[in-house]
Amino acid sequence: MSPLPLAFLTAGEWSALRLSLQVAVCAATAGLPAAVLIGYWLARSRFPAKWLVDVAVNLPLVLPPVVTGYLLLVLFSPAGPIGGLLESWLGLRIVFTWLGAALAAGVVSFPLMVRAVRLALEQTDPRLESAARSLGAGPVAAFFTVTLPLARRGLVAGWMLAFARSLGEFGATIMVAGNIAGRTRTLPLAIFSLANRPGGVDRAWRLVALSIVLACAALAVSEILERRGRAKQA
Amino acid sequence: MCLLSMQCRHRYPGGFELDIRLDVDVRFSALFGPSGSGKTTILSMIAGLVRPQAGTIAVAGQTLVDTAAGRCLRPEERSVGFVFQESLLFPHMTVKANLRYGERWRRRKRRSVSFDRVVEVLEIGHLLGRYPHNLSGGERQRVALGRALLSGPELLLMDEPLAALDAALKARVLAYLERVVAEWDVPTLFVTHAQADVRRAADQVILVDKGRLLASGPPDEVLTRREPLSWTDAAGPVNLLRIERLEPCGDETHVRIGEQVLHLPARRPAGEAPHFVQFSPSDVVLSRRDIPDLSCRNHLVGRVRQVVRLDDSVFVAVDVGQILWAVVTPQSASDLGIENGCEVTCLMKVHALKFVG
Repeated sequence: MSPLPLAFLTAGEWSALRLSLQVAVCAATAGLPAAVLIGYWLARSRFPAKWLVDVAVNLPLVLPPVVTGYLLLVLFSPAGPIGGLLESWLGLRIVFTWLGAALAAGVVSFPLMVRAVRLALEQTDPRLESAARSLGAGPVAAFFTVTLPLARRGLVAGWMLAFARSLGEFGATIMVAGNIAGRTRTLPLAIFSLANRPGGVDRAWRLVALSIVLACAALAVSEILERRGRAKQA
Repeated sequence: MCLLSMQCRHRYPGGFELDIRLDVDVRFSALFGPSGSGKTTILSMIAGLVRPQAGTIAVAGQTLVDTAAGRCLRPEERSVGFVFQESLLFPHMTVKANLRYGERWRRRKRRSVSFDRVVEVLEIGHLLGRYPHNLSGGERQRVALGRALLSGPELLLMDEPLAALDAALKARVLAYLERVVAEWDVPTLFVTHAQADVRRAADQVILVDKGRLLASGPPDEVLTRREPLSWTDAAGPVNLLRIERLEPCGDETHVRIGEQVLHLPARRPAGEAPHFVQFSPSDVVLSRRDIPDLSCRNHLVGRVRQVVRLDDSVFVAVDVGQILWAVVTPQSASDLGIENGCEVTCLMKVHALKFVG
Protein backbone atom coordinates (compact mmCIF):
# COMPACT_ATOMS: atom_id res chain seq x y z
CA MET A 1 0.00 0.00 0.00
CA SER A 2 1.52 3.28 -1.02
CA PRO A 3 1.34 6.32 1.30
CA LEU A 4 -1.22 8.96 0.50
CA PRO A 5 0.17 11.49 -2.01
CA LEU A 6 -2.59 14.06 -2.33
CA ALA A 7 -1.10 15.61 -5.41
CA PHE A 8 -1.59 12.33 -7.20
CA LEU A 9 -5.34 11.97 -6.73
CA THR A 10 -7.07 11.01 -9.93
CA ALA A 11 -9.78 13.13 -11.51
CA GLY A 12 -12.40 10.77 -10.12
CA GLU A 13 -10.99 11.08 -6.61
CA TRP A 14 -10.88 14.90 -6.76
CA SER A 15 -14.44 14.89 -7.97
CA ALA A 16 -15.54 12.71 -5.05
CA LEU A 17 -13.72 14.97 -2.58
CA ARG A 18 -15.13 18.15 -4.11
CA LEU A 19 -18.66 16.74 -4.16
CA SER A 20 -18.41 15.59 -0.54
CA LEU A 21 -17.29 19.01 0.65
CA GLN A 22 -19.90 20.79 -1.44
CA VAL A 23 -22.70 18.53 -0.21
CA ALA A 24 -21.62 18.73 3.44
CA VAL A 25 -21.25 22.52 3.49
CA CYS A 26 -24.58 22.96 1.74
CA ALA A 27 -26.41 20.48 3.97
CA ALA A 28 -25.10 21.97 7.21
CA THR A 29 -25.62 25.60 6.16
CA ALA A 30 -29.09 25.14 4.69
CA GLY A 31 -30.27 23.33 7.79
CA LEU A 32 -28.98 25.94 10.23
CA PRO A 33 -31.83 28.51 10.12
CA ALA A 34 -34.45 25.79 10.61
CA ALA A 35 -32.36 24.21 13.38
CA VAL A 36 -32.11 27.57 15.17
CA LEU A 37 -35.87 28.19 14.91
CA ILE A 38 -36.82 24.72 16.09
CA GLY A 39 -34.06 24.65 18.71
CA TYR A 40 -35.25 28.01 20.09
CA TRP A 41 -38.86 26.89 20.23
CA LEU A 42 -37.93 23.63 21.96
CA ALA A 43 -35.70 25.47 24.43
CA ARG A 44 -38.17 28.17 25.40
CA SER A 45 -41.67 26.87 24.77
CA ARG A 46 -43.81 25.39 27.50
CA PHE A 47 -46.27 23.88 25.07
CA PRO A 48 -47.51 20.59 26.62
CA ALA A 49 -47.21 18.52 23.41
CA LYS A 50 -43.66 19.75 22.79
CA TRP A 51 -42.38 16.19 23.05
CA LEU A 52 -44.14 15.32 19.79
CA VAL A 53 -42.02 17.80 17.89
CA ASP A 54 -38.96 16.53 19.71
CA VAL A 55 -39.68 12.97 18.57
CA ALA A 56 -40.31 14.04 14.98
CA VAL A 57 -37.04 15.99 14.87
CA ASN A 58 -35.05 13.08 16.30
CA LEU A 59 -36.54 10.47 14.00
CA PRO A 60 -33.80 10.62 11.32
CA LEU A 61 -31.29 9.89 14.08
CA VAL A 62 -32.78 6.52 14.86
CA LEU A 63 -34.22 5.43 11.54
CA PRO A 64 -31.94 3.43 9.22
CA PRO A 65 -30.54 6.02 6.77
CA VAL A 66 -31.75 3.88 3.88
CA VAL A 67 -35.30 4.23 5.18
CA THR A 68 -34.92 7.99 5.47
CA GLY A 69 -33.56 7.99 1.91
CA TYR A 70 -36.47 5.94 0.68
CA LEU A 71 -39.01 8.36 2.21
CA LEU A 72 -37.19 11.34 0.73
CA LEU A 73 -37.13 9.64 -2.68
CA VAL A 74 -40.87 9.09 -2.54
CA LEU A 75 -41.48 12.75 -1.62
CA PHE A 76 -39.00 14.41 -3.93
CA SER A 77 -39.10 12.30 -7.09
CA PRO A 78 -40.83 13.99 -10.06
CA ALA A 79 -43.85 11.81 -9.42
CA GLY A 80 -43.90 12.69 -5.72
CA PRO A 81 -45.85 15.53 -4.01
CA ILE A 82 -42.92 17.92 -3.38
CA GLY A 83 -40.73 16.86 -6.29
CA GLY A 84 -43.60 17.31 -8.72
CA LEU A 85 -44.28 20.87 -7.51
CA LEU A 86 -40.60 21.80 -7.65
CA GLU A 87 -40.28 20.52 -11.17
CA SER A 88 -43.39 22.22 -12.50
CA TRP A 89 -42.93 25.59 -10.70
CA LEU A 90 -39.16 25.99 -10.70
CA GLY A 91 -37.98 23.42 -13.21
CA LEU A 92 -35.87 21.99 -10.41
CA ARG A 93 -35.02 18.32 -10.10
CA ILE A 94 -33.66 17.15 -6.75
CA VAL A 95 -33.34 13.39 -7.08
CA PHE A 96 -30.24 11.95 -8.71
CA THR A 97 -28.45 15.28 -8.53
CA TRP A 98 -25.99 16.71 -5.94
CA LEU A 99 -28.93 18.63 -4.46
CA GLY A 100 -30.48 15.28 -3.62
CA ALA A 101 -27.28 14.27 -1.89
CA ALA A 102 -27.32 17.54 0.06
CA LEU A 103 -30.98 17.03 1.00
CA ALA A 104 -30.32 13.49 2.22
CA ALA A 105 -27.28 14.54 4.23
CA GLY A 106 -29.12 17.57 5.60
CA VAL A 107 -32.11 15.59 6.84
CA VAL A 108 -29.97 12.90 8.43
CA SER A 109 -27.73 15.40 10.24
CA PHE A 110 -30.55 17.79 11.22
CA PRO A 111 -31.30 16.20 14.64
CA LEU A 112 -27.65 16.61 15.65
CA MET A 113 -27.73 20.29 14.79
CA VAL A 114 -31.02 20.90 16.60
CA ARG A 115 -29.68 19.15 19.68
CA ALA A 116 -26.55 21.31 19.82
CA VAL A 117 -28.46 24.52 19.17
CA ARG A 118 -31.12 23.69 21.75
CA LEU A 119 -28.50 22.95 24.38
CA ALA A 120 -26.75 26.24 23.70
CA LEU A 121 -30.02 28.18 23.90
CA GLU A 122 -31.09 26.42 27.09
CA GLN A 123 -27.85 27.60 28.66
CA THR A 124 -28.60 31.20 27.73
CA ASP A 125 -30.46 33.04 30.46
CA PRO A 126 -33.93 33.92 29.07
CA ARG A 127 -34.04 36.88 31.46
CA LEU A 128 -31.39 38.55 29.32
CA GLU A 129 -34.00 38.79 26.60
CA SER A 130 -36.37 40.38 29.13
CA ALA A 131 -33.65 42.87 29.98
CA ALA A 132 -33.21 43.69 26.28
CA ARG A 133 -36.94 44.19 25.86
CA SER A 134 -37.15 46.43 28.90
CA LEU A 135 -34.56 48.60 27.16
CA GLY A 136 -36.75 48.96 24.09
CA ALA A 137 -35.64 46.12 21.81
CA GLY A 138 -38.42 44.09 20.18
CA PRO A 139 -38.48 40.28 20.53
CA VAL A 140 -36.73 39.68 17.17
CA ALA A 141 -34.09 42.33 17.85
CA ALA A 142 -33.53 40.91 21.34
CA PHE A 143 -33.03 37.45 19.85
CA PHE A 144 -30.50 38.58 17.24
CA THR A 145 -28.55 41.01 19.43
CA VAL A 146 -28.52 39.10 22.70
CA THR A 147 -29.58 35.45 22.55
CA LEU A 148 -28.01 34.40 19.27
CA PRO A 149 -24.54 35.87 19.95
CA LEU A 150 -24.51 34.18 23.34
CA ALA A 151 -25.44 30.84 21.80
CA ARG A 152 -23.02 31.10 18.90
CA ARG A 153 -20.62 28.47 20.23
CA GLY A 154 -23.47 25.99 20.22
CA LEU A 155 -24.43 27.01 16.71
CA VAL A 156 -20.90 26.51 15.44
CA ALA A 157 -20.67 23.17 17.25
CA GLY A 158 -23.97 22.13 15.69
CA TRP A 159 -22.80 23.14 12.23
CA MET A 160 -19.54 21.22 12.63
CA LEU A 161 -21.40 18.12 13.80
CA ALA A 162 -23.80 18.32 10.88
CA PHE A 163 -20.90 18.89 8.48
CA ALA A 164 -18.98 15.89 9.77
CA ARG A 165 -22.06 13.68 9.70
CA SER A 166 -22.89 14.82 6.16
CA LEU A 167 -19.40 13.95 4.97
CA GLY A 168 -20.01 10.38 6.00
CA GLU A 169 -23.58 9.97 4.83
CA PHE A 170 -24.12 6.90 2.63
CA GLY A 171 -27.46 5.10 2.92
CA ALA A 172 -29.84 7.99 2.35
CA THR A 173 -27.55 9.54 -0.25
CA ILE A 174 -27.40 6.46 -2.44
CA MET A 175 -31.21 6.18 -2.33
CA VAL A 176 -31.99 9.80 -3.21
CA ALA A 177 -29.05 10.80 -5.36
CA GLY A 178 -27.83 7.52 -6.77
CA ASN A 179 -24.16 6.79 -7.38
CA ILE A 180 -23.42 8.79 -10.52
CA ALA A 181 -19.74 9.43 -11.09
CA GLY A 182 -18.91 13.12 -11.21
CA ARG A 183 -22.44 14.14 -10.22
CA THR A 184 -23.46 12.43 -6.97
CA ARG A 185 -20.57 10.07 -6.15
CA THR A 186 -19.40 11.47 -2.81
CA LEU A 187 -16.43 9.98 -0.93
CA PRO A 188 -18.34 7.19 0.88
CA LEU A 189 -20.03 6.19 -2.37
CA ALA A 190 -16.72 6.28 -4.24
CA ILE A 191 -15.12 4.02 -1.61
CA PHE A 192 -18.03 1.60 -1.88
CA SER A 193 -17.79 1.51 -5.68
CA LEU A 194 -14.01 1.01 -5.68
CA ALA A 195 -13.98 -1.64 -2.97
CA ASN A 196 -16.38 -3.76 -5.03
CA ARG A 197 -14.12 -3.78 -8.08
CA PRO A 198 -11.24 -6.19 -8.56
CA GLY A 199 -7.89 -4.51 -7.85
CA GLY A 200 -9.52 -1.38 -6.45
CA VAL A 201 -8.27 -1.99 -2.87
CA ASP A 202 -5.29 0.36 -3.21
CA ARG A 203 -7.30 3.22 -4.57
CA ALA A 204 -10.09 2.57 -2.05
CA TRP A 205 -7.48 2.77 0.71
CA ARG A 206 -6.39 6.21 -0.48
CA LEU A 207 -9.96 7.53 -0.27
CA VAL A 208 -10.43 5.86 3.12
CA ALA A 209 -7.35 7.66 4.42
CA LEU A 210 -8.64 10.92 2.95
CA SER A 211 -11.98 10.43 4.72
CA ILE A 212 -10.19 9.83 8.03
CA VAL A 213 -8.08 12.97 7.55
CA LEU A 214 -11.21 15.03 6.81
CA ALA A 215 -13.02 13.69 9.87
CA CYS A 216 -10.00 14.40 12.10
CA ALA A 217 -9.69 17.90 10.64
CA ALA A 218 -13.36 18.60 11.39
CA LEU A 219 -12.90 17.41 14.98
CA ALA A 220 -9.71 19.41 15.41
CA VAL A 221 -11.34 22.62 14.19
CA SER A 222 -14.27 21.97 16.50
CA GLU A 223 -11.91 21.47 19.43
CA ILE A 224 -9.90 24.61 18.64
CA LEU A 225 -13.05 26.70 18.42
CA GLU A 226 -14.29 25.23 21.69
CA ARG A 227 -11.03 26.04 23.45
CA ARG A 228 -10.90 29.54 22.05
CA GLY A 229 -14.45 30.10 23.20
CA ARG A 230 -13.63 28.88 26.69
CA ALA A 231 -10.49 31.01 26.89
CA LYS A 232 -12.43 34.09 25.90
CA GLN A 233 -14.90 33.51 28.71
CA ALA A 234 -12.19 33.11 31.33
CA MET B 1 -50.40 64.18 38.26
CA CYS B 2 -50.18 60.59 39.35
CA LEU B 3 -46.86 59.16 38.25
CA LEU B 4 -48.00 55.58 38.54
CA SER B 5 -51.49 54.23 38.98
CA MET B 6 -52.12 50.53 39.18
CA GLN B 7 -55.04 48.27 39.92
CA CYS B 8 -54.48 44.62 39.12
CA ARG B 9 -55.61 41.12 39.95
CA HIS B 10 -53.72 37.97 39.12
CA ARG B 11 -54.00 34.42 40.36
CA TYR B 12 -51.13 31.98 40.03
CA PRO B 13 -51.70 28.24 39.47
CA GLY B 14 -50.06 27.54 42.84
CA GLY B 15 -52.78 29.50 44.63
CA PHE B 16 -50.99 32.80 45.26
CA GLU B 17 -53.29 35.67 44.47
CA LEU B 18 -52.27 39.24 43.82
CA ASP B 19 -54.92 41.92 44.30
CA ILE B 20 -53.23 45.28 44.37
CA ARG B 21 -54.22 48.89 44.06
CA LEU B 22 -51.59 51.56 44.36
CA ASP B 23 -50.87 55.14 43.40
CA VAL B 24 -47.47 56.77 43.38
CA ASP B 25 -47.02 60.51 43.14
CA VAL B 26 -43.58 61.13 44.61
CA ARG B 27 -40.11 60.97 43.10
CA PHE B 28 -38.65 58.15 45.15
CA SER B 29 -40.87 55.43 46.50
CA ALA B 30 -40.24 52.02 47.93
CA LEU B 31 -42.30 48.88 47.53
CA PHE B 32 -41.64 47.08 50.78
CA GLY B 33 -42.67 43.75 52.19
CA PRO B 34 -41.37 40.34 53.26
CA SER B 35 -40.12 37.82 50.70
CA GLY B 36 -42.89 36.24 48.69
CA SER B 37 -45.30 39.13 49.15
CA GLY B 38 -45.63 39.77 45.41
CA LYS B 39 -43.35 42.78 45.04
CA THR B 40 -41.40 41.44 42.06
CA THR B 41 -44.64 40.42 40.35
CA ILE B 42 -45.97 43.95 40.70
CA LEU B 43 -42.81 45.34 39.16
CA SER B 44 -42.90 42.78 36.34
CA MET B 45 -46.46 43.79 35.54
CA ILE B 46 -45.54 47.45 35.33
CA ALA B 47 -42.61 46.61 33.06
CA GLY B 48 -44.73 44.39 30.83
CA LEU B 49 -42.91 41.15 31.59
CA VAL B 50 -46.02 39.64 33.16
CA ARG B 51 -49.54 40.22 31.87
CA PRO B 52 -52.11 40.62 34.65
CA GLN B 53 -55.32 38.68 34.32
CA ALA B 54 -57.37 41.77 35.08
CA GLY B 55 -56.67 45.42 35.76
CA THR B 56 -55.21 48.70 34.60
CA ILE B 57 -51.79 50.28 34.79
CA ALA B 58 -50.97 53.84 33.82
CA VAL B 59 -47.62 55.64 33.96
CA ALA B 60 -47.36 59.42 33.59
CA GLY B 61 -50.84 59.58 32.18
CA GLN B 62 -50.25 56.92 29.53
CA THR B 63 -52.31 53.72 29.82
CA LEU B 64 -50.03 50.71 29.60
CA VAL B 65 -52.53 48.05 30.50
CA ASP B 66 -56.30 47.95 30.39
CA THR B 67 -57.47 44.37 30.26
CA ALA B 68 -61.09 45.39 29.84
CA ALA B 69 -60.23 47.28 26.65
CA GLY B 70 -57.85 44.53 25.53
CA ARG B 71 -54.84 46.84 25.73
CA CYS B 72 -51.50 45.59 26.96
CA LEU B 73 -48.41 47.31 25.65
CA ARG B 74 -45.35 45.15 25.07
CA PRO B 75 -42.29 45.80 27.24
CA GLU B 76 -40.40 47.57 24.45
CA GLU B 77 -43.31 49.96 23.92
CA ARG B 78 -43.38 51.12 27.54
CA SER B 79 -41.25 54.00 28.78
CA VAL B 80 -40.27 52.01 31.83
CA GLY B 81 -36.67 51.24 32.79
CA PHE B 82 -35.87 48.16 34.82
CA VAL B 83 -32.82 47.42 36.96
CA PHE B 84 -32.79 43.75 37.89
CA GLN B 85 -31.53 42.21 41.11
CA GLU B 86 -28.72 40.40 39.30
CA SER B 87 -28.06 43.39 37.03
CA LEU B 88 -28.41 41.14 33.92
CA LEU B 89 -25.70 42.89 31.95
CA PHE B 90 -25.11 41.32 28.53
CA PRO B 91 -22.05 39.12 29.03
CA HIS B 92 -20.89 39.29 25.41
CA MET B 93 -20.76 43.09 25.39
CA THR B 94 -18.36 45.52 27.06
CA VAL B 95 -19.65 47.99 29.63
CA LYS B 96 -19.72 50.68 26.96
CA ALA B 97 -21.70 48.47 24.58
CA ASN B 98 -24.14 47.60 27.37
CA LEU B 99 -24.68 51.29 28.07
CA ARG B 100 -25.08 52.08 24.38
CA TYR B 101 -27.68 49.33 24.10
CA GLY B 102 -29.94 51.36 26.34
CA GLU B 103 -29.40 54.39 24.11
CA ARG B 104 -29.73 52.46 20.86
CA TRP B 105 -33.32 51.39 21.35
CA ARG B 106 -34.50 54.64 22.85
CA ARG B 107 -37.60 55.81 21.05
CA ARG B 108 -37.44 59.33 19.73
CA LYS B 109 -40.17 60.75 21.93
CA ARG B 110 -38.46 59.68 25.13
CA ARG B 111 -36.38 62.01 27.23
CA SER B 112 -32.81 62.42 26.14
CA VAL B 113 -30.10 61.46 28.62
CA SER B 114 -26.45 62.35 28.02
CA PHE B 115 -24.12 59.36 27.82
CA ASP B 116 -21.15 61.27 29.19
CA ARG B 117 -23.14 62.69 32.08
CA VAL B 118 -24.38 59.22 33.07
CA VAL B 119 -20.81 57.91 33.03
CA GLU B 120 -19.68 60.88 35.10
CA VAL B 121 -22.41 60.73 37.76
CA LEU B 122 -22.10 56.98 38.22
CA GLU B 123 -18.27 57.10 38.06
CA ILE B 124 -17.95 54.22 35.59
CA GLY B 125 -15.63 55.88 33.08
CA HIS B 126 -12.74 53.60 33.98
CA LEU B 127 -14.89 50.51 33.42
CA LEU B 128 -16.03 51.18 29.85
CA GLY B 129 -13.67 48.71 28.18
CA ARG B 130 -14.30 45.86 30.60
CA TYR B 131 -16.63 42.92 30.33
CA PRO B 132 -19.35 42.28 32.97
CA HIS B 133 -17.62 39.24 34.44
CA ASN B 134 -14.64 41.46 35.32
CA LEU B 135 -16.76 43.82 37.42
CA SER B 136 -17.60 43.70 41.11
CA GLY B 137 -21.22 43.48 42.28
CA GLY B 138 -21.48 47.17 43.02
CA GLU B 139 -19.92 48.13 39.67
CA ARG B 140 -22.37 45.87 37.85
CA GLN B 141 -25.33 47.51 39.53
CA ARG B 142 -24.05 50.98 38.61
CA VAL B 143 -23.68 49.96 34.97
CA ALA B 144 -27.14 48.39 35.01
CA LEU B 145 -28.53 51.63 36.41
CA GLY B 146 -26.75 53.65 33.72
CA ARG B 147 -28.03 51.35 31.00
CA ALA B 148 -31.62 51.66 32.18
CA LEU B 149 -31.29 55.45 32.46
CA LEU B 150 -29.97 55.79 28.93
CA SER B 151 -33.16 54.28 27.55
CA GLY B 152 -34.87 57.48 28.71
CA PRO B 153 -37.58 56.04 30.94
CA GLU B 154 -40.52 57.93 32.43
CA LEU B 155 -40.41 55.57 35.40
CA LEU B 156 -37.46 53.63 36.75
CA LEU B 157 -38.09 50.29 38.45
CA MET B 158 -35.50 48.61 40.60
CA ASP B 159 -35.97 45.07 41.86
CA GLU B 160 -34.06 44.60 45.10
CA PRO B 161 -31.03 46.33 43.61
CA LEU B 162 -29.06 46.09 46.83
CA ALA B 163 -29.92 42.52 47.79
CA ALA B 164 -26.86 40.91 46.25
CA LEU B 165 -24.46 43.41 47.85
CA ASP B 166 -22.75 43.43 51.23
CA ALA B 167 -23.56 46.14 53.78
CA ALA B 168 -20.74 48.54 52.91
CA LEU B 169 -21.48 48.33 49.20
CA LYS B 170 -25.20 48.77 49.73
CA ALA B 171 -24.68 52.20 51.18
CA ARG B 172 -22.41 53.27 48.32
CA VAL B 173 -24.79 52.11 45.61
CA LEU B 174 -27.70 53.75 47.40
CA ALA B 175 -25.72 56.97 47.39
CA TYR B 176 -25.29 56.69 43.61
CA LEU B 177 -28.99 56.06 43.26
CA GLU B 178 -29.77 59.20 45.24
CA ARG B 179 -27.42 61.13 42.96
CA VAL B 180 -29.19 59.80 39.88
CA VAL B 181 -32.62 60.76 41.16
CA ALA B 182 -31.35 64.23 42.04
CA GLU B 183 -29.68 64.72 38.63
CA TRP B 184 -32.37 63.46 36.25
CA ASP B 185 -35.46 63.67 38.39
CA VAL B 186 -36.67 60.26 37.18
CA PRO B 187 -39.52 58.86 39.26
CA THR B 188 -38.19 55.71 40.84
CA LEU B 189 -39.92 52.77 42.44
CA PHE B 190 -37.63 50.36 44.14
CA VAL B 191 -38.45 47.05 45.68
CA THR B 192 -36.81 45.95 48.87
CA HIS B 193 -37.35 43.61 51.76
CA ALA B 194 -34.93 45.47 54.05
CA GLN B 195 -36.30 48.22 56.23
CA ALA B 196 -32.95 49.98 56.42
CA ASP B 197 -33.02 50.71 52.67
CA VAL B 198 -36.51 52.14 52.89
CA ARG B 199 -35.77 54.39 55.83
CA ARG B 200 -32.76 55.91 54.14
CA ALA B 201 -34.03 56.66 50.71
CA ALA B 202 -37.78 56.68 50.22
CA ASP B 203 -40.27 59.56 50.29
CA GLN B 204 -43.18 57.14 50.14
CA VAL B 205 -43.45 53.55 51.26
CA ILE B 206 -45.94 51.10 49.80
CA LEU B 207 -46.37 48.21 52.16
CA VAL B 208 -47.40 44.87 50.68
CA ASP B 209 -47.86 41.43 52.10
CA LYS B 210 -49.40 38.27 50.63
CA GLY B 211 -50.23 40.03 47.39
CA ARG B 212 -52.17 42.85 49.00
CA LEU B 213 -51.57 46.48 49.81
CA LEU B 214 -51.40 47.09 53.55
CA ALA B 215 -50.58 50.79 53.64
CA SER B 216 -49.06 53.62 51.69
CA GLY B 217 -47.50 56.80 53.02
CA PRO B 218 -44.36 58.39 54.49
CA PRO B 219 -41.85 55.92 56.00
CA ASP B 220 -42.26 57.11 59.60
CA GLU B 221 -45.98 56.52 59.42
CA VAL B 222 -46.04 53.25 57.52
CA LEU B 223 -43.13 51.55 59.24
CA THR B 224 -44.61 52.08 62.68
CA ARG B 225 -47.63 49.95 61.90
CA ARG B 226 -48.07 46.54 63.50
CA GLU B 227 -47.16 44.50 60.41
CA PRO B 228 -43.69 45.83 59.60
CA LEU B 229 -42.84 45.83 63.30
CA SER B 230 -43.79 42.18 63.61
CA TRP B 231 -41.75 40.94 60.67
CA THR B 232 -38.54 39.17 61.51
CA ASP B 233 -35.16 39.09 59.69
CA ALA B 234 -34.23 41.82 57.26
CA ALA B 235 -37.81 42.95 56.81
CA GLY B 236 -38.08 43.60 60.51
CA PRO B 237 -37.64 46.95 62.21
CA VAL B 238 -34.22 48.49 62.48
CA ASN B 239 -32.95 51.66 64.07
CA LEU B 240 -31.20 54.16 61.81
CA LEU B 241 -29.97 57.28 63.52
CA ARG B 242 -28.68 60.11 61.37
CA ILE B 243 -25.25 61.35 62.44
CA GLU B 244 -23.42 64.54 61.53
CA ARG B 245 -19.96 65.01 62.97
CA LEU B 246 -17.77 62.22 64.26
CA GLU B 247 -15.51 63.05 67.19
CA PRO B 248 -12.80 60.47 67.81
CA CYS B 249 -12.18 60.04 71.51
CA GLY B 250 -9.63 57.46 72.53
CA ASP B 251 -10.90 54.01 71.69
CA GLU B 252 -14.38 55.33 70.97
CA THR B 253 -16.08 57.72 68.59
CA HIS B 254 -18.58 60.24 69.90
CA VAL B 255 -21.58 61.60 68.07
CA ARG B 256 -24.27 64.06 69.11
CA ILE B 257 -27.90 62.93 69.16
CA GLY B 258 -29.84 66.03 70.10
CA GLU B 259 -28.25 67.21 73.32
CA GLN B 260 -26.83 63.82 74.26
CA VAL B 261 -23.67 61.94 73.32
CA LEU B 262 -23.72 58.56 71.65
CA HIS B 263 -20.69 56.34 72.18
CA LEU B 264 -19.67 54.33 69.16
CA PRO B 265 -16.84 51.97 68.25
CA ALA B 266 -13.57 53.59 67.18
CA ARG B 267 -13.48 54.22 63.48
CA ARG B 268 -10.48 54.17 61.22
CA PRO B 269 -10.70 57.34 59.11
CA ALA B 270 -10.71 55.48 55.82
CA GLY B 271 -13.18 56.31 53.07
CA GLU B 272 -16.14 58.62 53.29
CA ALA B 273 -17.72 59.60 56.58
CA PRO B 274 -20.75 57.47 57.39
CA HIS B 275 -24.15 59.11 57.77
CA PHE B 276 -26.05 56.62 59.85
CA VAL B 277 -25.76 54.39 62.86
CA GLN B 278 -27.71 51.16 62.66
CA PHE B 279 -28.79 48.83 65.45
CA SER B 280 -31.62 46.50 66.27
CA PRO B 281 -34.49 47.36 68.64
CA SER B 282 -33.65 44.16 70.49
CA ASP B 283 -30.27 45.68 71.41
CA VAL B 284 -31.94 48.43 73.44
CA VAL B 285 -32.58 47.93 77.15
CA LEU B 286 -35.13 50.24 78.79
CA SER B 287 -35.00 51.47 82.32
CA ARG B 288 -37.21 53.83 84.33
CA ARG B 289 -34.16 55.23 86.06
CA ASP B 290 -30.53 55.69 85.18
CA ILE B 291 -28.42 52.81 86.46
CA PRO B 292 -24.75 53.46 87.29
CA ASP B 293 -21.89 50.92 87.26
CA LEU B 294 -22.84 49.22 84.02
CA SER B 295 -20.52 48.18 81.20
CA CYS B 296 -23.03 49.78 78.83
CA ARG B 297 -21.58 53.10 77.65
CA ASN B 298 -24.76 54.55 76.19
CA HIS B 299 -27.45 55.88 78.51
CA LEU B 300 -29.80 58.01 76.43
CA VAL B 301 -32.71 59.64 78.20
CA GLY B 302 -35.94 60.37 76.37
CA ARG B 303 -39.73 60.37 76.37
CA VAL B 304 -41.91 57.57 75.07
CA ARG B 305 -43.79 58.76 71.98
CA GLN B 306 -45.53 55.59 70.83
CA VAL B 307 -46.23 52.10 72.16
CA VAL B 308 -47.24 49.30 69.78
CA ARG B 309 -48.42 46.13 71.47
CA LEU B 310 -48.08 42.91 69.45
CA ASP B 311 -48.89 39.38 70.62
CA ASP B 312 -45.52 38.51 72.09
CA SER B 313 -43.64 41.78 72.15
CA VAL B 314 -44.09 45.48 72.75
CA PHE B 315 -42.37 48.06 70.56
CA VAL B 316 -41.60 51.38 72.22
CA ALA B 317 -40.63 54.55 70.33
CA VAL B 318 -38.48 56.86 72.43
CA ASP B 319 -37.51 60.41 71.50
CA VAL B 320 -33.89 60.88 72.53
CA GLY B 321 -33.31 63.74 70.10
CA GLN B 322 -34.21 61.35 67.27
CA ILE B 323 -36.74 58.55 67.50
CA LEU B 324 -35.36 55.15 68.38
CA TRP B 325 -37.25 51.91 68.86
CA ALA B 326 -36.84 49.35 71.62
CA VAL B 327 -38.58 46.00 71.94
CA VAL B 328 -39.49 44.49 75.29
CA THR B 329 -41.71 41.68 76.49
CA PRO B 330 -45.31 42.52 77.41
CA GLN B 331 -44.53 41.56 81.01
CA SER B 332 -41.63 44.02 81.19
CA ALA B 333 -43.71 46.75 79.64
CA SER B 334 -46.38 46.29 82.26
CA ASP B 335 -43.94 45.88 85.18
CA LEU B 336 -42.16 49.10 84.24
CA GLY B 337 -45.40 50.90 83.50
CA ILE B 338 -44.25 52.01 80.07
CA GLU B 339 -46.73 54.27 78.36
CA ASN B 340 -46.85 57.37 76.20
CA GLY B 341 -45.17 60.36 77.72
CA CYS B 342 -43.19 58.64 80.44
CA GLU B 343 -39.44 59.18 80.73
CA VAL B 344 -37.12 56.24 80.13
CA THR B 345 -33.41 55.62 79.77
CA CYS B 346 -32.23 53.64 76.74
CA LEU B 347 -29.17 51.51 77.36
CA MET B 348 -27.11 50.33 74.39
CA LYS B 349 -23.75 48.66 74.20
CA VAL B 350 -21.11 50.23 71.99
CA HIS B 351 -20.64 46.90 70.21
CA ALA B 352 -24.28 46.72 69.16
CA LEU B 353 -23.95 49.91 67.08
CA LYS B 354 -22.79 49.80 63.46
CA PHE B 355 -21.75 52.57 61.14
CA VAL B 356 -23.61 52.57 57.84
CA GLY B 357 -22.58 54.72 54.88
